[in-house]
Amino acid sequence: MNGQYPAGGASPVAALVLAWAIPGAGHAYAGRWGKAALFFGCIVGLLVAGMIIGGGTVIIHRDTQGHIELWWMAQMGAGGPTVALTPISEYLAARAGPDIYANRFREVGTLYAAVAGFLNVLVMMDAYVKLAYPHRRRDDEEEKEES
Amino acid sequence: MLEALRHFFEHLLALSNPLWLYYPLCAAAAVVYKATKYDDPKTIARHALHFFLWITGGMLVLATVFYILSLVF
Repeated sequence: MNGQYPAGGASPVAALVLAWAIPGAGHAYAGRWGKAALFFGCIVGLLVAGMIIGGGTVIIHRDTQGHIELWWMAQMGAGGPTVALTPISEYLAARAGPDIYANRFREVGTLYAAVAGFLNVLVMMDAYVKLAYPHRRRDDEEEKEES
Repeated sequence: MLEALRHFFEHLLALSNPLWLYYPLCAAAAVVYKATKYDDPKTIARHALHFFLWITGGMLVLATVFYILSLVF
């Protein structure tokens, strides 16, 4: 994973949009396949783990009173996978009824999915910045020079 | 006090404690965060482990301190 990011040709905005649609795709677009696999595994893994822990009802965009769930807005940071999982989660939540809010593990699962969203925003910014400013020194290069 | 602390740690380390569910979340967050900062896999692993231990260790120390304070006051 020590290759350079391409200095020209690759669009930072395209990397940003791809990273939102599929976690890690922005890095894959920049040719960083190792990092892309790591980010995809971690972020989608957290979303799936959250769904399993919370009984599949953690990614819903409206609560029982019809208000937008703030958790869902955080989860939307993970883009494509969240969009794909929302109807499944809402179907399971509608089937389970208001009892879902009594499940304490649902809270943990909701947090997992929300953190996955926040982490993907970080990954999106990383993909954008590394392509927009390719000559900026990386932290580990600075660390090697210091040691 | 020592008996209360023993109970506290027993409860904290019990497998039934849902706190265990947060460790994988913390580990994944540490790996992703450090992977955005470093490129070398060994450097990422080392820094992520360091970060994970600092967060979990710090939380454990804080929890113990707050528990002792709750016993005293």
